[in-house]
Amino acid sequence: MGREVSESCIDSLLTEMVSTYCNRFYANKPELAARRIEAIGYQVGHQLSERYTMDRPRFSDHLEAIKFICKDFWSELFKKQIDNLKTNHRGTFVLQDNRFRWLTRMSIDQSPENGASEDTSIMADNKAVQSMHLYFPCGIIRGALSNLGIPCAVSADISNLPACSFVVRIKA
Amino acid sequence: MATTACFIIVSRNDIPIYEAEVGSAAKREDAAQLHQFILHAALDIVQDLAWTTSAMFLKAIDRFNDLVVSVYVTAGHTRFMLLHDSRNDDGIKSFFQEVHELYVKILLNPLYLPGSRITSSHFDTKVRALARKYL
Repeated sequence: MGREVSESCIDSLLTEMVSTYCNRFYANKPELAARRIEAIGYQVGHQLSERYTMDRPRFSDHLEAIKFICKDFWSELFKKQIDNLKTNHRGTFVLQDNRFRWLTRMSIDQSPENGASEDTSIMADNKAVQSMHLYFPCGIIRGALSNLGIPCAVSADISNLPACSFVVRIKA
Repeated sequence: MATTACFIIVSRNDIPIYEAEVGSAAKREDAAQLHQFILHAALDIVQDLAWTTSAMFLKAIDRFNDLVVSVYVTAGHTRFMLLHDSRNDDGIKSFFQEVHELYVKILLNPLYLPGSRITSSHFDTKVRALARKYL
């Protein structure tokens, strides 16, 4: 079970998946496209978590499972670990990745120098498209945690690219 | 040497997704139902025991007459339960580990809905072959 795929294939597949769901399948319904992409991520996360926990002992509590996601799971997927993990000890975790691999090819818009109003609406559009790309990794995290017995809701925050934060809220 | 053995896989929602009689003894009709009953009754014990340890292989957790129930729990809380009359702990552990690999391969199939019954005859053949090898 150890074949490898080139990274550019994965990048192209993900870009095409997001663009197909947003522009062809659910052309004017971004919420439906988002939910569909997240559901795909959920199934993938479910399968991957089962595969990567095969050789290690099981988890005794939620924090162990989150640490597994930050270290082993993230390194299997992205060859690096999560850079920063914060929690409020009341069921919310923030996982911060300072250079999220799937967003590295995305352009960072500089703020417009002459503040024209068309530019801000283009920027808003760009932000919307960028956030579409994040539903898949959010789904992966949600699927992996649900399989480990932690029902949760995951959202992403890209206020400063290429860093990306995933906020995990555990449902009580 | 004839051994009785019944193997089931129970998902995290307590739904059996696979069952097989893998012993080499002759199959008796009443025995099959009894085996299932014993295994399902042992689920409560597995539930309690699974939280006390972080190991995957929980050895023999229950007995009925001379039959013993051994259980292996995965991280996704899927339970592999084996009802047997032999005492071969190492063989059983290797059997569970190999079935775990097969199970992960089934899960990786995108057309398989997690938590539904495993109907692949290939999986069935492989499990029976493993049972003959290790039990």
